[in-house]
Amino acid sequence: MTGDIEQVARRYARYTAIGAVVIAGVWHVGYDLTVTVTGWHDFRWPVLAAVAWVVYTAVGAVAAVALLRGAEPSTAGTGLLVAATLAVDVAVMLACHPRDLLGTIDWGWGSVGWVGVMLLWNRPRRRAELIAFLAANAGLMLAAMAVTGTFDRVSVAKYLVVVAGSITLQLGYSVGCHALRASAEDAALLARRLAADDAWRMSAQRIHADRLRRYAAIRDVAEDLLERLADGADPGDARVREECTAGALRLRRLITEREDVPDALVTALRERIDAAERRKVLVTVPPFGGTLPDLADRVREDLLRVPLQALDGARSRARVTVSAMSTMVSVAVVADNDDLPVSPAPVREASGVVITYQRQGGEVWVNSIWQAP
Amino acid sequence: MGQQHLAGPVTVALVEDHQVVVDGVRSWFGQPGPVTLVAQGPTIESVRGVHADVLLLDLNLNGTMIVDRIGDLCEGGQRIIVFSEHEEPETVRAVLDAGASAFIGKGRATRESCVETILEVAADRPSVTPPMAQAIATDESPHRPQLSDQERLALLYWFQSMSKASVAARMGIKERTVRQYIDRARVKYAAAGRPAPTKEKLLICAIQDGLISPGEVDVYTSLAARPDR
Repeated sequence: MTGDIEQVARRYARYTAIGAVVIAGVWHVGYDLTVTVTGWHDFRWPVLAAVAWVVYTAVGAVAAVALLRGAEPSTAGTGLLVAATLAVDVAVMLACHPRDLLGTIDWGWGSVGWVGVMLLWNRPRRRAELIAFLAANAGLMLAAMAVTGTFDRVSVAKYLVVVAGSITLQLGYSVGCHALRASAEDAALLARRLAADDAWRMSAQRIHADRLRRYAAIRDVAEDLLERLADGADPGDARVREECTAGALRLRRLITEREDVPDALVTALRERIDAAERRKVLVTVPPFGGTLPDLADRVREDLLRVPLQALDGARSRARVTVSAMSTMVSVAVVADNDDLPVSPAPVREASGVVITYQRQGGEVWVNSIWQAP
Repeated sequence: MGQQHLAGPVTVALVEDHQVVVDGVRSWFGQPGPVTLVAQGPTIESVRGVHADVLLLDLNLNGTMIVDRIGDLCEGGQRIIVFSEHEEPETVRAVLDAGASAFIGKGRATRESCVETILEVAADRPSVTPPMAQAIATDESPHRPQLSDQERLALLYWFQSMSKASVAARMGIKERTVRQYIDRARVKYAAAGRPAPTKEKLLICAIQDGLISPGEVDVYTSLAARPDR
């Protein structure tokens, strides 16, 4: 689910960028090219206008490619392209007669803002830079009006309408899209946090359920024993004492074992320890210490296989130990298991786990060790 | 072993808040024996002022872990053996770093192993119980001692096997050599920049016993280099 939402956020970013490219392209072909062709004879220097159109196209294409790749553009490269864009602006003004400065054929100053939007889209300070760019564009036109003395009421009104219109559209699109992208990213972050909370809650529930299950099992053992003692069972009886010892061992394990890290290896061991205890085997388990490194499934299986066989076949007692470092995990079982076939030489598994066996004084000791390569 | 420095039985004071454990320990040290229980109480304060060769200390008193009090207790040179079911390696290391001489895990303690540890500690000889072996072998802190592969393996097997004899059989060496590896690891561990008050005595005894040579006692790290000091 988190992945889907992150994809949605990425899609928002991509499609708004594509939107900027499409608007600039449609505007440039639909309006700029049309007025350049239809107003060819009205230009003072039509060829200059055509060259400006081509340069605009080239700069726009470079900006569009960079934008769609999503890379942050360099300051030097962006500066050069911004200068070229403003040069297009000036060239179109020069190509027009002074009387057409604010006319329909002077397409440059209303259009270059879209190239600015694309060029500055992925810049860290895009909003400030885009405002500066649009202000420079408006300033150039104002300067041209000053030079040509075009300060009559109609011209000033036209100027204000075009400036206000183009700035609102261009700046508005850029700011709006980035706000949308930021919201989408926030939503993705929130979704990720919720997913982490969910995972934590589920694991806590599992731990809690497991703890309740073990509490219940131990309560059963303790209750049964206490009832029998209350009913007159003899504490001197070897069998009663043995059962008391088993209950005490399980209680001690409950007190000391940690549950905050549900590790697959430890979980598998605990299940079989519980099973052995149900068979009335006295299992001693020092707390599983150290930090268990992440183990491949194959390594974990090889580490557990023989120690679990030794535990499963224990007649009356077993001791299970796990030692771990970041580069080593060792699992051992000492048990009164008469049936486990032992290998006199260490057995090396393909996973790198080495298993050693020893039989001594009615007990078998198996030890599997994995060391990081 | 190790009683040649001591005239009479080794005296022990016990701090333990569970009467059933107190009774059990008292039965272990019944007269006549090499160890005598001279005082016991449920709090550290209850045995303060008592002179005992060794203080046997439960780590969890009335629901509170008292690892942080071990350093102060060791200040005056008191030998401390912690007696606890909290055998996690990090707890054992914290206890040893604070200056305790040994750690006995309640889960596996027997009269023989307990008396042996007390006698070794009272004589300032290196003593390594299975939980200590696990804690020293798996230490990955920046101040860990440099153990040889054989020493680390001997520690690990001592923790995970049934006896030192089985460790010797597994490693194909004599039991005496196994003891030597384990004891050397303990001496190195005690010497590795740890502010244990009885460290000097332990090192002197280790040199006297030929466990290490004086030239090898260069594992000391300045306390100032420890970030937490």
